[in-house]
Amino acid sequence: MESGLSSLLSVSIDFETSHLFFPTIIHWIMAGLFVLILVTKVVPFLAEVKRGERTLPIVGEPMDAFRFFGTLVLIVAYFYLMAVVGNLFPYTGYGFLFVSMAFVLLMSLMYMHEWTKKAVTIVVINAVVAPGLAWFILAKLFNITLP
Amino acid sequence: MEFLSLLDITFFLLAGFGALIGIIFGAIPGMTATMAVAVCLPLTYALGLHHGLALLLGLYVGGISGGMVPAVLLNIPGTPSSITTTFDGYPMARKGEGEKALRVSVIASVVGGLISAAVLFLFAPMLADFSIKFSYVEKFLIILLALSVIASLSSSMLVGIFSGVIGIWLSLIGDYSISDGGNGKTRLMFDFMEPYLFEGFSLLPVLIGIFGISTILLEAEKGVKSDLSNERIKFGKGGGFSLSIFKGRLTNLVRSSFIGTFVGMLPGVGGSAASVLAYTQEKNLSRDSSEMGKGAPQGLVASESANNALTGGALIPLLSLGIPGDSTTAVLIGAFTLQGIQVGPLFIPENSETWYIMMTALVFANIVMFFLMFYAIKHIAKVVMVPKHILYPIIVMMCVVGAYAINYGIMFDVWTLLIFGILGYLIQKIGLEVAPLIIGFILGSQAEVYFVKSLESFGTLSIFFTKSPIAIVLWLLILASVVFSIVMGLKSRARHSQEFTTDRSASRLDKKELS
Repeated sequence: MESGLSSLLSVSIDFETSHLFFPTIIHWIMAGLFVLILVTKVVPFLAEVKRGERTLPIVGEPMDAFRFFGTLVLIVAYFYLMAVVGNLFPYTGYGFLFVSMAFVLLMSLMYMHEWTKKAVTIVVINAVVAPGLAWFILAKLFNITLP
Repeated sequence: MEFLSLLDITFFLLAGFGALIGIIFGAIPGMTATMAVAVCLPLTYALGLHHGLALLLGLYVGGISGGMVPAVLLNIPGTPSSITTTFDGYPMARKGEGEKALRVSVIASVVGGLISAAVLFLFAPMLADFSIKFSYVEKFLIILLALSVIASLSSSMLVGIFSGVIGIWLSLIGDYSISDGGNGKTRLMFDFMEPYLFEGFSLLPVLIGIFGISTILLEAEKGVKSDLSNERIKFGKGGGFSLSIFKGRLTNLVRSSFIGTFVGMLPGVGGSAASVLAYTQEKNLSRDSSEMGKGAPQGLVASESANNALTGGALIPLLSLGIPGDSTTAVLIGAFTLQGIQVGPLFIPENSETWYIMMTALVFANIVMFFLMFYAIKHIAKVVMVPKHILYPIIVMMCVVGAYAINYGIMFDVWTLLIFGILGYLIQKIGLEVAPLIIGFILGSQAEVYFVKSLESFGTLSIFFTKSPIAIVLWLLILASVVFSIVMGLKSRARHSQEFTTDRSASRLDKKELS
């Protein structure tokens, strides 16, 4: 009995495949927990959704689709263009500076609910000053690498 | 006292500046101390180790404290940890005692902060000294304990553990590093990803994405409403405050500070657990709690001293074991690594100067926070009114700088921001927990090394039980946290059937505290 238990617990790990040893265990734990959650949480939840007591997250909730997807599109464009413009002026941080200005301006305008002359002026000034200041302090004073 | 020669005027200016920025972040609803640290990280790249620490600790202390401002004036907790401050602070503000309420809170905060700093100073070296003898087996069990504690305090233990395991899985992406004794092969990815992900995701872009970008996405989804503009800030006439308010409240002050410190030590537990616990204790134990919830200073004292006491508490496991106590210290761990500090049992004995400097920064930040908030609170409170459409683009911009500069200009780190921003958004939407996931991510690769190396040298799983008496104690603690979670689950289910509504608000609270 004793030896049976210790042979059950003994483990030898092959060095060549040792990088997969721990991930495999994690996969099994994840799968087990997933099934448990599916049974104890997700199935009852879906039943409640079916009865109309609760709504599905994300798809069933009211959302400001314009601002949400607008944010995603702007961020993707921001990250992409920053690198593109940055490659035109290497080691200057201009890619960050110019693209940030456009990004801050557009995002501010998108989030603004009431467009008044005063509010738009503030947004435009902010869009020039904030990235300018960040660029100056970080890239010029502190010599931090920027795109 | 050699470390005194390392302190210069810049050091104190940075700690003070950090506290100010932290307070501003904390005061803006929806922004937390975690975000303040994450967004200001790029500033520390150019600073040396000690100056960087001063700034970071200032941000941490300020960020936690700032949350009281909107809690008192607008009934909106600026950070999750100031939720109980709203219970008594807002009724006081409505009675025209806003400034008095804030001043009581500020004093409670600074006392809580200093008491926890003292506990940190005494306790962290002891714990480090003790844990220095730990082998890989005990270290693995400590990580297991950290994860089980944090999961047991999640709204559902199952979900908490699952989130933690996802975090571990994410941390395993990349190579099994040769420097850790691995074979240097990559796993959990396709070949085309290898150029980007050979070393896995960098910690800081992951954290900045989850705490910065996903918050923006969650707000964008709600339409970035500025519902504050119609609110009138009610300050009152300033008078009415005197130190005599604290007469007979010292027990409360000290008790709440210790509760905060202790809760802070538990990994992954946010500030609202600390302040809720301190608040309910005051309610149960004080002679006269009838006024609590209607504008009693004693409620403010309990809440604010506890949530500021978190700061010192959360640093104890971070500095002595390398395990972050909450999400803000999780970001700090990244910032420390960046400065070349490996936190863990060896940190304090090997870097005693840095350790004293950290303590100085922590105490000084608390003092600066006190003076700023006590005397300049009226002006600081105005930042609550800064419109979000100005603020959010700037935050995204700072997140980008933080991520890009971290490894000296790698564009993939910026994309990591987006990947984890979206992931963080989805996680919070479908009800998984962010805090266990982050702790799992931070500790996952270490857990692997400790686990695999233990097995390689001993060749049997039984070593995790028989290695030393400490291993047995750790297993008992793990068991205790599981039992605690089950008991709490049963209790809340019983309550659930009794009063559906109160329970829902409590679970909502749970969720908030961990985010």
